[in-house]
Order: sequence, then structure tokens, then C-alpha cells
Amino acid sequence: MTADQKFNPIRKGLLEFLILQIISADKVYVADMMKRLQETDFATQEGTLYPLLSKMRREEFVDYEWQESDSGPPRKYYKLTAKGKSQLAEFKDYWAYLNTTINQLGR
Amino acid sequence: MNTVIIINLNGNAFHLEEPGFQSLRAYLERAQAQLQDNPDKTEIMADLEQAIADKCAHFLRPHKNVLTAAEIDDVLKEMGPVQTDGATPAGATAGEQPHVGTKSTAGPAPKRLYQIREGAMLSGVCSGIAAYFNIDVTIVRILFVVLTALTGGLWIMVYIGMMLVVPFANTGEEHAAAAGAPFNAQEVIDQAKKHYAEFKDSKEWRRHWRQQRREWRRRWHDGAYWWGHNLQRNVHQFSTGAAYGGHFGAALLIPFLAVFNALLFCLCIAAIVSLATTGAIFGWVVGGSIPLWVSILILMFIYSVIARPLRHARRAIYFNTNGSNYMWFAAWYEILSTGVLILVCWFAYTHVPQVHDFFQHFAQNWSTMWNNLIDSFRHTVSHKPADSWLDAKVSSAAAAASTSAFLALRR
Repeated sequence: MTADQKFNPIRKGLLEFLILQIISADKVYVADMMKRLQETDFATQEGTLYPLLSKMRREEFVDYEWQESDSGPPRKYYKLTAKGKSQLAEFKDYWAYLNTTINQLGR
Repeated sequence: MNTVIIINLNGNAFHLEEPGFQSLRAYLERAQAQLQDNPDKTEIMADLEQAIADKCAHFLRPHKNVLTAAEIDDVLKEMGPVQTDGATPAGATAGEQPHVGTKSTAGPAPKRLYQIREGAMLSGVCSGIAAYFNIDVTIVRILFVVLTALTGGLWIMVYIGMMLVVPFANTGEEHAAAAGAPFNAQEVIDQAKKHYAEFKDSKEWRRHWRQQRREWRRRWHDGAYWWGHNLQRNVHQFSTGAAYGGHFGAALLIPFLAVFNALLFCLCIAAIVSLATTGAIFGWVVGGSIPLWVSILILMFIYSVIARPLRHARRAIYFNTNGSNYMWFAAWYEILSTGVLILVCWFAYTHVPQVHDFFQHFAQNWSTMWNNLIDSFRHTVSHKPADSWLDAKVSSAAAAASTSAFLALRR
């Protein structure tokens, strides 16, 4: 197993928080999210993203509204809920904590 | 040429080639299975369909309104396998997406041997083997021909056997499985166990066998029909183009087909008789050491390959002409072909000495033919010269095979 393969579960677990982060900036629809993630190590596919978003909506971290588009059918634009915002803040804190822990452990 | 299927993806119509439709259906079925317990199943499925529709739209142009199977496969690869937290297909996690295109979609798909009709020359056995071992189909075909030559024609039986037993790949999933996931020993053992359990039960085996025969007949029929269909188009053009309208052209073509078909049948029977009595077709000695019964099977096969499209062309003429005249054309054809058959027999009897001789000593010739045939069977099955048990088996099998073959020829 290569190091890259070992990181897979980490990336998978982080995906949800990255989506929160993307949505926090502005309302986005799925193709936008995919494009943003495409440039990173977290590139994903519709087959993964749609079920994940539906789970996050059920847990009330995100919500969507329908918006007409000039090309094609109306799209779902996702935005953060209050619960989602606090979850993202929590995650960022925890991430910072993890970072310091990792860096300090080696000393 | 490919059949096109129109589908509705979340409210939009798309034209797909049939294999593409099969893979899309397989994908959506897998997605549904994955989302079985998901409360938002309907919504997610709608989202997925919409995403597929968006991707499909990229492939369409003003003068290109059909999505090919390859394009659908690309779209589905881009979509990626549908996965939820509960069940994650192995080897396809979010992080390794950039490599996902080269992977099989839903986890470790089993690899199975199928007959693949697309691009097949006869039945698709070679294509299936090529997909299974991931080699070029031409190599497999050459291998089959070489093996057939080396074994004196016996290898043909392996092909025929596989043609009857190996299933056809129908759905996209079966197509995927035909070229599917890497092969391992456990899979072989599992498959063997599964097959043993299946075939131990003879009812199951008979059902499988019947299903396989039906399928084979249907495929064969479709193939011949397609061939006949092209002929039908030409016939149609010819008959509508004729100066006296459609019926005139058809009336001209019917006798041609009747005579040709009757002659072909006579030729086939004469060739078989000639082969069985003298061991050579009209003096031409069959090369190699192909057993007699294999040569006869090959002759019958050649006959049916030529005759079937002709029959379909004839039916096409019936349908092309107005309904009321259909009966007359059919009667006209039957009378003509029977007449030609009798005429040819009479002519051969009076003018060809060999044929005259054959009928003069019919009983003796018949038993010679029969013994030759039995001998060739026995020689193939076992090299031991005399074995009464085997004899009885072989001759009953030969009788059954030849009767059914003859019936099939005239059908």
C-alpha cells in the first residue's frame, strides 16, 4: 500500500468539511463544487457527491434553493445553515488543534 | 448500424444506442440498489439523472442527435459509482478520483465468459474469449482456425459446444463482466462451486439448456433477418422502380428466388449424398482428415447460411405487396419451387448416370452411406474398432442428429 492509498480514508473523511468550506463562501451548485474540488486532491464525482449532499441536508448542515439558469433547467444552489456554520467553525478549530498536536509530538 | 432507444432522463428525451442504454440502465439499477435504504432516494436519483442528462447534452450537436455507447460509458465513468457512507465499493473512494476512469465501477465485478454478439463473425464465442483474456479477437480466431486444422476438424465441435453452452452477454453488466475485474483463483473456485451446484440439479440444467437454445435461435434469426432486411430494401426499390408498379417486380423476383432456392437445396442434398457414398464432393476430395459427419454438418451450415436470407427476402416481398395478393405470391412460390425440385430430380435421374445408379441400387447405397456415417462417428469418439455398447449409442445419436438436421434444413 502506497502512502497515497493510506491517505484515502483521511481524504474521504475530510470531504464533508471541505464542502462546508466551499459553500460557506457563496451559494454554489454541484457543478461548481466539482470544479473547485477538481483542482485539489479531493476531486470527486457526482456518484459520491449527491448522496453526501443529501445526507448533509438531512442532518441540516446545508440547504438548497432552486434557481433558474439561462442555460438549461433550474439548478439547486446550496447554502450553509446556522448549524452548518457552527459545524464548520468547530471543524476548523479541531483542525488547528490537530496541526499543533502533530507538530508538537515530534519534539 | 445500431438500434436506438429513446429514454427520458428527468424530463428530457435522449436517443441512445442500445448497448449504451444497457450500461446506463445497469448504472442506474446499481445506484438504486446502493440507495435502497436512503430516505432521499427519489431525490438523489433525480439529481443523478439530471447530471447524466447535462453531461449527455455536451455530446449533442445540431446534426448529431444520438449518443453512442462509448459516449455513455464516458459519461458514466465521469459520474463515478454511486456510494453512500454505509457501503463503499472497494477501491473507489473519493480521494483517488483522478484514476477512477480506468477502474471498473462497482467494486470487484466477477469476470465471466460470455458470447459477445457485437462484432461477432459467427456466434461471438471468439469475441467473448478475446474479451475474457483481454487479447485481440483476430488472434483468437486464428488460433481457432489453426487448432481446427491441426485436429482435423474436431476443434469445430469445441466451438459448437461453447456456442451452445456459454451464455450471451445481454446487459451492460454482463458486458462489463465479460471483460471485467481481474481474475483470481478464489473466483474460479467460487464459480466452479456455483456451477456444480447449478448443474447437479438436472432440471436446472435442462432449463438453462432450453433458454440457451432459445436465445441462440433468436440471435441467429435476428442476424439472418438483418441480412434479409437489406435485401428487402433493395427488392423494394427494385419493385417500386419497375414500370408496371410494385407487383410486377415482385412477380419477377419470386420465380428467381424459387428456382434458386430449389437448386440450392438439390445441390446441398447431392453434395451430402456424394460425400457420404464416395467420400468426396462431386469428385473433390475434402482436404485434411475431417471426419465425414463434420463435413456434412459444415455443408448443412453453409446451405442454411445462404438459404436463410433468401427466405427472408421472399417474405419481404410478400409484405411489400398489398395484403390481398400475399396468398397468390406464396402459392406461386410454393408451386414453382416444388416444380423445379421435381424437374431437377427427373432431369438428374434421366441424364446423370451417377444419380440414376444411385436410385437403381437405393437400398444398398443407403446402407453404405449410413455405415460410413456411423464409422466416422465411432472413429471420432473412440479409436477402438468394435464395441457393441458404443455402437448402439453412436447409431442412435447419429439417427437423432441426422433426422433433426434434415428437418431443420427444410424448415
